[in-house]
Amino acid sequence: MESLNGLVCFTNCLLPSEDGSLVEQDLWIDERRGVILDAQRTFFLRQERPATIIDLGGNILSPGFMDIQINGAYGFDFSVFEGDHEAYRNGLKHVAEKIVETGVTSLVPTIITQEKTLYPTLLNLLRPYTSSNSANMLGWHAEGPFIQMAKRGAHAPQFLLRADEGFESLEKVYGADNLAVQEDWLMACDGQPDSLGVRIVTAAPEIAGVRPAMEEAVKRGVVFSIGHSIASTDIATAAAISGARLITHLFNAMPQLHHRDPSIIGLLGASPHLSSPQSPTSPVSATFPLSSGSLSRAASSTSLAKRALAAHGEGGGKATSEAFDELITPPQTPVLAPIDADFHLKKGQVAELAFERPFYGLIVDGIHSHPNSVRLAYSAYPEGCILITDAMKILDPNLKDGVHEWRDGKRFVKEGDKLYLEGTDTLAGSVVTLDKCVRNFSRFTGCSLGEAIKCATYNPAKCLGIENRKGTLRPGADADLIVLSRKGYVQSTWVKGRKVWTRSV
Amino acid sequence: MRLIIRDDAANVGEYIGNYIAKRINKFKPTAEKPFVLGLPTGSSPIPTYKHLIKLVKAGQLSFKHVVTFNMDEYVQLPQDHPESYHTFMFREFFSQVDIPPSQVNILNGNAKDLIGECNAYEAKIKAIGGIELFLGGIGEDGHIAFNEPGSSLASRTRIKTLAYDTILANARFFNNDIAAVPRMALTVGVATVLDSREVVVVVSGQRKALALSKAIEEGVNHLWTLSALQLHPWALIVVDEDATAELKVKTVKYFKSIERVQDEVEAMHAKLKDDPAEPEQIGSME
Repeated sequence: MESLNGLVCFTNCLLPSEDGSLVEQDLWIDERRGVILDAQRTFFLRQERPATIIDLGGNILSPGFMDIQINGAYGFDFSVFEGDHEAYRNGLKHVAEKIVETGVTSLVPTIITQEKTLYPTLLNLLRPYTSSNSANMLGWHAEGPFIQMAKRGAHAPQFLLRADEGFESLEKVYGADNLAVQEDWLMACDGQPDSLGVRIVTAAPEIAGVRPAMEEAVKRGVVFSIGHSIASTDIATAAAISGARLITHLFNAMPQLHHRDPSIIGLLGASPHLSSPQSPTSPVSATFPLSSGSLSRAASSTSLAKRALAAHGEGGGKATSEAFDELITPPQTPVLAPIDADFHLKKGQVAELAFERPFYGLIVDGIHSHPNSVRLAYSAYPEGCILITDAMKILDPNLKDGVHEWRDGKRFVKEGDKLYLEGTDTLAGSVVTLDKCVRNFSRFTGCSLGEAIKCATYNPAKCLGIENRKGTLRPGADADLIVLSRKGYVQSTWVKGRKVWTRSV
Repeated sequence: MRLIIRDDAANVGEYIGNYIAKRINKFKPTAEKPFVLGLPTGSSPIPTYKHLIKLVKAGQLSFKHVVTFNMDEYVQLPQDHPESYHTFMFREFFSQVDIPPSQVNILNGNAKDLIGECNAYEAKIKAIGGIELFLGGIGEDGHIAFNEPGSSLASRTRIKTLAYDTILANARFFNNDIAAVPRMALTVGVATVLDSREVVVVVSGQRKALALSKAIEEGVNHLWTLSALQLHPWALIVVDEDATAELKVKTVKYFKSIERVQDEVEAMHAKLKDDPAEPEQIGSME
């Protein structure tokens, strides 16, 4: 059923705004162009009003959710390529068509560490992809292979790499075409002038060569995410200064928060004192040396790594959760010389940081991070919070608990939202859906539903720099919309102005 | 002139909303013969708009065949500025009723030729056969539309400089920054309002009490431009209790007594309209 003039008005609904509030307001879209309209301009300048009015009965009309870390779903694993391009594309299509029932209208397929020769092909297959009746595939998220052995999680140790040749190492692995400058890459993808695409690389900044390599990649439009890393506070801060924009699944696969060296997690609380260019001891050098000797500057990191490796053992042995690793007390924070400058006198204002704190992904399944940890992170830096599922291929809200095949003959055990490698207690990713993460998040932190929605829409879009097109209700943005009940359940999903899914009664 | 007094602003809005709905429905507007309605902005008419929206949503009223003319607009304020009257009208009213955009008229304060814009507006009102009912509000200084104290009572649509009082009053809409309040506006004239066949004015709040007293208890005076309404044959002022604070008890009692026979007068008026042989004698109560 198409509107007579192609315009649709959603009424009797609450719209999440970019500050996290919910506002009772109508939304006008152009279903033919698939975009959100500036209603007032449409009325006065275009002299039109929607021929179709849809009453949403007081529900919430939100931008579609965006999942920037998802490994697969509905039986398809983005990381498994068996030589058949067509089969892989069909798998992507299948996920894109099905996932709209979880409220996700855009996703960034994530591939875990692969045998390095596979990357050029896989990343090429993961170029942005949209169709009329499914979620948007925005590009790719390469998690690995430049990550820390001690924090490899479920990544295959034999495939982990160093980036000794800097950016060249990245090009050799991912393929130079896939790392081209953003405009060239988008042109090569589909050549549309308004095309949209994102590339995310999760890497450990303490691995040799990663920082200069990522600095170049960032210049080309790649999003650098810190993850699977044991970076000390110094290294993590240096990475943020040189452009890291994201932290991959905060709390997981990184050192726990230690008050003397809060490491990657500590970036959420980055102090203006330490980042200020006026700080006399200037603890963070923007040009951090990269030779192996450099790590001695971060001695605590190296020793942490060794101990962690020892604890895990190389290869065999029962893997334990890193939460129970023995912690080593890092040396005392260096004492800084006093700064002789006036304090500012404005209550509520916080002195500016010299760099932007990175966004951080949180798996809010209640398992990968305790509700208290979720709230702690959110309180520290609400604007940076991004909800992710990190879901495995068996993500499917309709799937029963039990034992399921994974890959290489390994099997999963699914128990509610928990997912283990069979015979171990190692968490192997999640099976939580993003709409459930939003509900969980609101309960865990006590924030409003509108603020939780923001963490799955505006925040990820902002992180990726695509908030004019996705994750917001701005005029001109794609009309990717979901209708949510006030309990946070998806009632229907719209992509580019067309309804693609409705909850069956 | 009639004066209707209601307990509070919400009741005033409901009364006027019902009244306008009744007028439109009785008029039986069609595409060829639309109902022409003049509209104001400001906080006083908001309850009226709310009630009209409610009636439209309940299916008891439609704006399909209503043509509207707004009273005024700031000069050189972008049309989509949050404080422009375009924005106000769209947000508070037009977006929520079924009026076709082509039937909405608001002065363009960004027109290159502002005088030409004003003249064209007058011509357009004339061409459509004049305004059937003009709904208005007043300022604390008794202005109707932007016809500030001292305006000619014979004025037509034109450029007007805002009075300092009005600028001060409107500063709250511009972050209390007096410098940000536009200095000029385009507005229909007092005569433009008086030309319409019926005028309904909403006055609510204690701050408007003095203006109301000046407008109805004293003589016609260009320093309280609303007082020109005394010359209009068919005018209705609807106020809340707060706005009557400066009126004489006698005045209030008089108008309250009139209200009791109001239905009778309306019936008589309807009868007169139905019978074209009768001259158009319209319903003043005096």
